[in-house]
Amino acid sequence: MSITLKYFSWIRVKLKKSHDLIELNQTISFKELKSNLILKDPIFKEIFEDNSVKFFLNLREIDDENQTLSNGDILAFLPPVTGG
Amino acid sequence: MIKITNKTFDLEAEFKFVSSDTNGAYSFFLGTVRSDLSSSKKKIKGIYLECYEELALTQLKKIRSKALNRWKLTNCSIIHRIGKLNLGEKIVLVTTASSHRANAIEACEFIIDSLKIEVAFWKFHLLDNNEKEMVLQKSLDNEKMLKWDEIIN
Repeated sequence: MSITLKYFSWIRVKLKKSHDLIELNQTISFKELKSNLILKDPIFKEIFEDNSVKFFLNLREIDDENQTLSNGDILAFLPPVTGG
Repeated sequence: MIKITNKTFDLEAEFKFVSSDTNGAYSFFLGTVRSDLSSSKKKIKGIYLECYEELALTQLKKIRSKALNRWKLTNCSIIHRIGKLNLGEKIVLVTTASSHRANAIEACEFIIDSLKIEVAFWKFHLLDNNEKEMVLQKSLDNEKMLKWDEIIN
């Protein structure tokens, strides 16, 4: 299955890309995905340790780290917003 | 009406869109790009606005709906620019319409305060040499939003 990761603001700048498409062999939770990403790139450790960053799965904020991810899901990484 | 656009907008045209003979009051908030110094004390040449458009539209619809219900507005429009903007350009326009001024004014303030804290836009200052500097969220904006939480909930 594949999941799209979308990066915004300083996260996009730091990772030098706006999105990623990741392929997974089996269903995993958001918590497990976090561990996988940290192993892939240490920048993710900084992202996940920053309490001001919010994570939205298919336009809904994640409030349970055990939430499972499904094929075609879009997971967005959102630093504090500054519009207006 | 909610619009996220990379084009500028005309104030009179936007007013016509919400105007009606049954309205007795309108309130407007217009945000523009101001000449200022960035956090690193460099002169700002303009701004760049990044957006997660699908999410921002959903968030703006929720805020608009809250305002329409809480202040019994007859109409409300929110327009927000994205992309590169020069000094003096229009960034955001909030228009509220109601029978009487108090509701229109308060709802307009609620919408722009909510937008600053809740909606997926990110501002960067454009500096010399194509340098971009991220704008940080202000704690004052967060504190102000707490006041609205008490009023709305």
